[in-house]
Amino acid sequence: MRLLSGDARDALLTPLDGGGRSQAVARRLGSAIALGLLEDGEQLPSESQLAATLNVSTLTLRDALAELRSWGLVETRRGRGGGSFVRMSQAALARLSHDRLAEVGVSDLRELGDMHSMVAGSAAHKAAERASPTELARLRDLVSRMADARDATELHRLESRYYIEMAAAAQSARLTRLEIELQGDLAQVMWRLQTDRSAAAVAAGRAAVVEEVARHRGDRARRLTEEQVADDTRRLIDDHIATTRSSAS
Amino acid sequence: MPITQTPDPASVISEAIEGIFATVAEVRRLALASHAAAVAEGRAFLDPDVRGLAPAFVDLLEAPDQLAVGLGIILEPGTLPSHPLRLEWWQRSTGRDAPVPLEVDLHPDSVGFYDYMAADWFAVPRRTRARHVVGPYVDVHGTDRYLLTLTMPMEADGRFLGVAGADVPITGFETVVLRRLGTAEAILVNDEGRVVVSTTSRWITGCLLPDHERRPGVPLAELPWELLEPPLPEPARAASRGEG
Repeated sequence: MRLLSGDARDALLTPLDGGGRSQAVARRLGSAIALGLLEDGEQLPSESQLAATLNVSTLTLRDALAELRSWGLVETRRGRGGGSFVRMSQAALARLSHDRLAEVGVSDLRELGDMHSMVAGSAAHKAAERASPTELARLRDLVSRMADARDATELHRLESRYYIEMAAAAQSARLTRLEIELQGDLAQVMWRLQTDRSAAAVAAGRAAVVEEVARHRGDRARRLTEEQVADDTRRLIDDHIATTRSSAS
Repeated sequence: MPITQTPDPASVISEAIEGIFATVAEVRRLALASHAAAVAEGRAFLDPDVRGLAPAFVDLLEAPDQLAVGLGIILEPGTLPSHPLRLEWWQRSTGRDAPVPLEVDLHPDSVGFYDYMAADWFAVPRRTRARHVVGPYVDVHGTDRYLLTLTMPMEADGRFLGVAGADVPITGFETVVLRRLGTAEAILVNDEGRVVVSTTSRWITGCLLPDHERRPGVPLAELPWELLEPPLPEPARAASRGEG
């Protein structure tokens, strides 16, 4: 739930027109489900509690929950033992990220990619100077689990953790916080990558970075990271363009 | 003639760290007393027992001159019948007057999973049954701060219950040590070769000392730390290289 605090302020989370605040909140909660911060089957806090956490009115929250229900990501049961429960659905998340990707602009995606490249590239560069054997072991473990990821959800979560751990290995609390924020923003659209990225290829690329970090080759670790982020960004943009064109016909 | 005494870096550092360990020992005493009380009543140690420790933890955090910004206990899975993973951790945070409980994500499948079983501050005391200091490190998915974490194992009848611990921001520790060191020079490194505190800007907190810079150090008693010989000042370095 920690990613959810504060305002839903980021460009990627803000609906284009008319959607308003409740839609932004619905998306933030959708990201949280995508990232596993809210678990399948988990009961959501009471409406007033959740509204306070998200810093919105209960009315806005109620609208957001209705939206999540319509996407099939939340289920509300009445009566004793009732409440709102999280329903993890790969299909719903894929549809959500598809809609989202169609809505944003190329420049939004480019900017997110630029920012991520800067943060992740610097993190890898500094980690090559400062990562301890324990931190390297943790990164290697994440990368090997990535290779065995069962589905897009697991791959994406492990990859998010990999980027966050890399920033921590750089010994920078600030870079770590930036990376956590970026992963929250990326959560909505990254699902689109599932079709054209194989877990093995993603894992191999990240493994190469970790080995450069282990050999203290910061410049190479940075360059590889920047290339990987640019590659993912380009895929998202291609996808966005194709989606937008097809929706016109 | 008055003797101006340069403080001994090893004792300055030990004193600072033992002060924090005294707090950790108190956290452990409180938790074990609560556990023993449950056992004496012939029942299991339960979640309300753990929650009941909170006011005492808050008092400890608010004690004058407390260096720790967070403290509490982290339980071994199986210790509580109701929770596989459980921690009761309180912290002072900037911009708030009263300490607040640390809320972490304990869902193993989550991006934000706080995998404490894998953290050295938990795993090492669990394995060695001895106290430990970790850091400086970024406490990712936890407090997100740059910290030292000090922990002690908690045991009852030989059974490991978890750890008691305290978080100290590296900045706070460094300030105390630098103030007490006076003119003495020191480079303090941890068991991973990472600089904890130093009196030179050449090797600063958080950096790893490259192997070729490693000089024989003096281990500190009961700490995974070593004090290295202070570096030669720059001109002397150059001169000594020229001679060699």
